[in-house]
Amino acid sequence: MSLSPGATGHLNGLLLPETGSVRLFNELVSDNLAKARQTVGMIFQDADSQIVGETVYDDTAFGPENLGLGQDEVKKRVLSALQAVGLLNHRDQRPHTLSAGEKRRLAIAGVLAMEPRVIVFDEPFSNLDFPGVRQVLKQIISLHQSGHTILVSTHDIEKIIAHATRLIIMKDGKIVKNGSPEGLMEVLEDFGVRAPCPFRMGREAESWLN
Amino acid sequence: MAELTTFHYYPGHSTLHLLDARFKLVFMILISIASLSAGLAALGVLTFVYAALVLYIHLPLKPAFRELRYFFVLIFFIFMARALTTPGTPVFEFFIFSVSRQGLYQGVLVCWRLLLITLLGLFLVATTRSSEIRSAVEWFLTPIRFIPGKRVATMIGLIIRFIPLVFDQAKMTADAQKARGVELRKNPVYRLIKFTIPLIRRIFEDADKLVLAMEARCYNEDRTNIGLSSSRTDWLALLMVLCLAILITAL
Repeated sequence: MSLSPGATGHLNGLLLPETGSVRLFNELVSDNLAKARQTVGMIFQDADSQIVGETVYDDTAFGPENLGLGQDEVKKRVLSALQAVGLLNHRDQRPHTLSAGEKRRLAIAGVLAMEPRVIVFDEPFSNLDFPGVRQVLKQIISLHQSGHTILVSTHDIEKIIAHATRLIIMKDGKIVKNGSPEGLMEVLEDFGVRAPCPFRMGREAESWLN
Repeated sequence: MAELTTFHYYPGHSTLHLLDARFKLVFMILISIASLSAGLAALGVLTFVYAALVLYIHLPLKPAFRELRYFFVLIFFIFMARALTTPGTPVFEFFIFSVSRQGLYQGVLVCWRLLLITLLGLFLVATTRSSEIRSAVEWFLTPIRFIPGKRVATMIGLIIRFIPLVFDQAKMTADAQKARGVELRKNPVYRLIKFTIPLIRRIFEDADKLVLAMEARCYNEDRTNIGLSSSRTDWLALLMVLCLAILITAL
């Protein structure tokens, strides 16, 4: 789990570094952008501008279609991605009519259909009500359980910290701290991130799903 | 947003739903062209056919007409223009205005045709997934070398997807300005400028985000095609539509 003000674009080559290089599973990202983008799926903060399809089904199919997969494979992937995020019954619906939490889950399905190994979430909880946060959180955890590496970039660490296995604090584009979440709680506020409420009250971090 | 709720796909399994989108596009063009020169009798036949179709695909007409209210204003103006400008036997006169019998007839004819063509478009949109319409357009454009069919198809898809968002954005901008008393300013030009600039800026910002999101999902022009397949029913339907078009032109 990481904490960075908007630096995740480097991971799948949306941004290319001016100095140095970015490696993904020992390969330079800049050598094969398409592969990097397939390996690292990104869920953007603004789900609305990430959704490109006219229906839920079409949007999920957008990625696999770009990969040039056969029609049957596209269909198989779309259906299993929609099943995974619980939107299978909404597949003919227009994205505009979904709730904010559902839109974010659709964005996840769109990325999932490309079968990435790593999924990056940029501020996944912004503009969501409590049930929406829980929906997305549940989704993130189930993606992790199904073997994906999950990176969450957020200022709002309270909602996710109980499930995090690693915390990276970034400042001005550089990693300043990297360690276990418990170990870094003390210094969080030095870097402009409010420590989670349970920690401030001297308790263990608590899951938002409880 | 409400303006856009009727013109969309209604999932279903009617024959009209199952027809190939390419054929449906051809049908629409054929009947539109035929009805451009249709007389009263032919329009009557068409209206009868359309009424049957509305019942067959369970099209919700009431909300459709409510959302078409601005279109009816346009239709009314077209009617008035026809009625007032066509010379002939006057029915009634008022100052310099005179409404002729021929004008009324022409007005009714033109408006009726326009309404039927609009309804035809509604049939197409209601029974065809937009991805199928997109593929059909792409299929027709592919033989034309200088038009990039795939790009045009993607653009059509994006436009359909983003119109509601632009409307939402416009409403948000308008509300934010109302909250700060923009209605007290009587100058419409001032209000238009203050409204348009932030709206356009937001739309361009969203477009930038969209580009990033599409790139993140590997967008390229060498994409998988959505399969379109024609069957015997499609050719049978084509025959029927041809007969209908000939009938309309002949009447």
